[in-house]
Amino acid sequence: MSAPPASLGLGAPGVESRVSSPMLLWLAGCLAITMLLTGASLIVGTSSIGTSVGWLLAPDAQGSVILWQIRLPRTVGAWFAGALLGLAGAVAQGVFRNRLADPYLLGTASGAALGVTISLLAADTSIAGLAWMGKIGITGAACIGACAAIALTIMLSRGVLQTANLLLAGIVVAFLLSAVTSLLLLTKPEIWRAMQVFLLGSTGYLSWTSATLLGIVFCVCIVPAALLARGLDALSLGEDTAQSLGLSLPMLRLTLLGVLSLATATAVGQVGIVGFVGLVAPHLVRETVTVNHRQLLIGAPLCGGALLQAADLVSRWIIRPAELPVGAVTACVGGAYLVFLLWRRSRDE
Amino acid sequence: MSDKGIANAARAPQQAQLQLQTEPPAQTQAPALACRALSVGYGRRTVLEGVSLDLAAGSWTAIVGPNGSGKSTLLRALAGLLPLRRGMVSLQGRALGSWSRRERARRLAWLAQSSGATNLTASEVVGLGRFAHSGWLAHRKSEDDAAMRRAMLATGSLSWAARRLSTLSGGERQRVYLARVLAVEAPVLLLDEPTTHLDPPHQEDIARLLRSQARLGGVCVLSAIHDLSMALTADRLIVLGSDGLVGHGTIREALDGDWLSAAFRTRVSIVEHAGVYLWRPALEAPSL
Repeated sequence: MSAPPASLGLGAPGVESRVSSPMLLWLAGCLAITMLLTGASLIVGTSSIGTSVGWLLAPDAQGSVILWQIRLPRTVGAWFAGALLGLAGAVAQGVFRNRLADPYLLGTASGAALGVTISLLAADTSIAGLAWMGKIGITGAACIGACAAIALTIMLSRGVLQTANLLLAGIVVAFLLSAVTSLLLLTKPEIWRAMQVFLLGSTGYLSWTSATLLGIVFCVCIVPAALLARGLDALSLGEDTAQSLGLSLPMLRLTLLGVLSLATATAVGQVGIVGFVGLVAPHLVRETVTVNHRQLLIGAPLCGGALLQAADLVSRWIIRPAELPVGAVTACVGGAYLVFLLWRRSRDE
Repeated sequence: MSDKGIANAARAPQQAQLQLQTEPPAQTQAPALACRALSVGYGRRTVLEGVSLDLAAGSWTAIVGPNGSGKSTLLRALAGLLPLRRGMVSLQGRALGSWSRRERARRLAWLAQSSGATNLTASEVVGLGRFAHSGWLAHRKSEDDAAMRRAMLATGSLSWAARRLSTLSGGERQRVYLARVLAVEAPVLLLDEPTTHLDPPHQEDIARLLRSQARLGGVCVLSAIHDLSMALTADRLIVLGSDGLVGHGTIREALDGDWLSAAFRTRVSIVEHAGVYLWRPALEAPSL
C-alpha cells in the first residue's frame, strides 16, 4: 500500500462508528409504541367489559379468563405474526434486490388458500375428511399449502440461483394455484364464506398454542437472517461483487429463502393472508432511519409486529362490537402508505 | 546527450529507490495470474477463444479495445466469475478453482464496472472488502480497521467514511468502491473501468494509485481502461480486437506493432509529447 497523500484524511472522522445513535433512538421509539399498543389491545375488545386501565390491573374471574386466554394470546400472536411478515419482507427485498418484493412472492398466499379450500372441501364431503381436518386444522392446511407452493416454485425455476426465474415461477405458481382454488370453489360455493375469513386474514383465532408456535418460529428465523445480514449488504453491490468478496451465493440464497418460506408459511397458517405488512414494514424502517441490512432485519420485524398489533386494534375497535377482518385494515393502511410514498417521490422529482 | 537522455538519467535514481521498497523480484515464481487457451462466451456466442496470458506481480496492465471486444468478459473470466468453455486460469501458480472461496477472495480483488445502488455508508462498503479476512460472522479486528483506513486514505475517501453512498456523487462513489477493492490488500487486482464517472484530474489520481500499487506494493494490477491516453500510462497493454487478442506486451511493443489500429480497425494515431503518450483524434480543432 502506498504512503497516504499528505493532504488527505487529516483530522477526518474515524472509519467506523459501530452503533448509530439514530438507530438506538428508533429502537426505543418502536418498543415504546409496541408497549402502548399492547396495553391498548388488552383493554379494547368486542366484549363490553374491561375497557379501563383499572380493570386491567385487577380483573375479576371472568375478566381474568378474557384477559389471559383471549386478549393476551391474541396480542402476542399478532405481534409475532407481524414480526414474521416484516422479517420475511426484509429478507425477500434483500435476496431479490428489489424494494417491491413481498413475502408472498414465492406463491405462498395462493398455496395457503388452496390448502384451506381443499381441507374445507374434504371436511364437507366425507367423515374421513372431517377427521383429517380436525387433526391438522385450517392453520395446518394453510401451512402445508404454502410450503407446497414454495416447493413447486423452486422446482419450476430449477433451483434458487436465478432470482429472475424464481420471481417468474412464483407468479406462474400464484396464478395456477388461484385458478385451481377458484375451480374448486365453483363446485362447492357454500364454503366460500368460511374461506373469506381466511383470505382476508384474521387475528381472531389466535390462541396460546399459535402464539407460542409463532414465537418459536420467529426466534428460529431471526438468528440466521441477522447473521447473514452482511451477505445481503455485499449482495446489494451486485452478484459478481458479492461472489468476488468470497461469499457463497447459493448458500446465502438457500438459507434466506428457507427463512422466508418458514416465516411466511407459519404466519399465513396462523393469521391468514394479511397483505401489505411484509411490504410496508421494511419501507417504514428505511424511511425513518437509513440502515444497513443487519439493522433492517432487526427493525423490520419490530415494525411489522407493531403494524399488525395496530391493525388488530383498529379492526376490533372501529365497528365495535363487531370486528373487521384485520387483512382489510392492513390493506387500507398499507395501500394508503404506499400511495403516500409514491406521491412524495413524484413531488421530490 | 539529448534532452530525453537527461530526463531518463534524472529519473533513474528515483526508480532505484522505488526498487528497494519492492518485494524481491519474482522471476523464478509463477506469474501472479495466468491463463492458458482460455475460451469464454455467453450462450451460443463465443467472445474470446484461445487466449493465453502471463501477468507478473509488480506491474500494471491495461486492457484496451473497442466496445464489445470482450474486455469485461476477460476480466470476469480471470476473476472466476464466468464459467470457462475451455482452458484454465491460475492464480499464484495454482488453478483458480483449487483455491477455497475465501482464500481466493483474499488474493484476488475485483471491481465491477458498475455497482448496485446501496444504502450503506462508505465505511460499511469498504468494510465489505475485509470479509475474506475476517469471515462473514466475525467482528472486525484492528488490522481490518487499519487496512480500511489505508485504503480510504489512498483513494481520498476517508472524509466521507460516515456518509451514505446514495448521498455521494458518481465520482466519489467510484473512489469508495475502489477503496473497497484496495482494502482487500490482495496481490492481484482486477478492475473493470476504474476511471469511469471520474473527471480527468481524478482519473489521473486513479492511474497514479494503480501505478503505485504495482510498483511499490508489488501488486499485479489489471484494468480495462476506455481512455487510450490513460491506458498508455500503464506498464503493459493487452489489446483486444473484435476477433480476439491482438497482442500483449509493453507499451513500446504495442505502439511499434500498431496494435491499436489493428484492434479498432481504423488509423489510431498516438503522439509522444513531453514523455507522455497521447491519443490524437484525427479531427482538427475548429479554426480560430
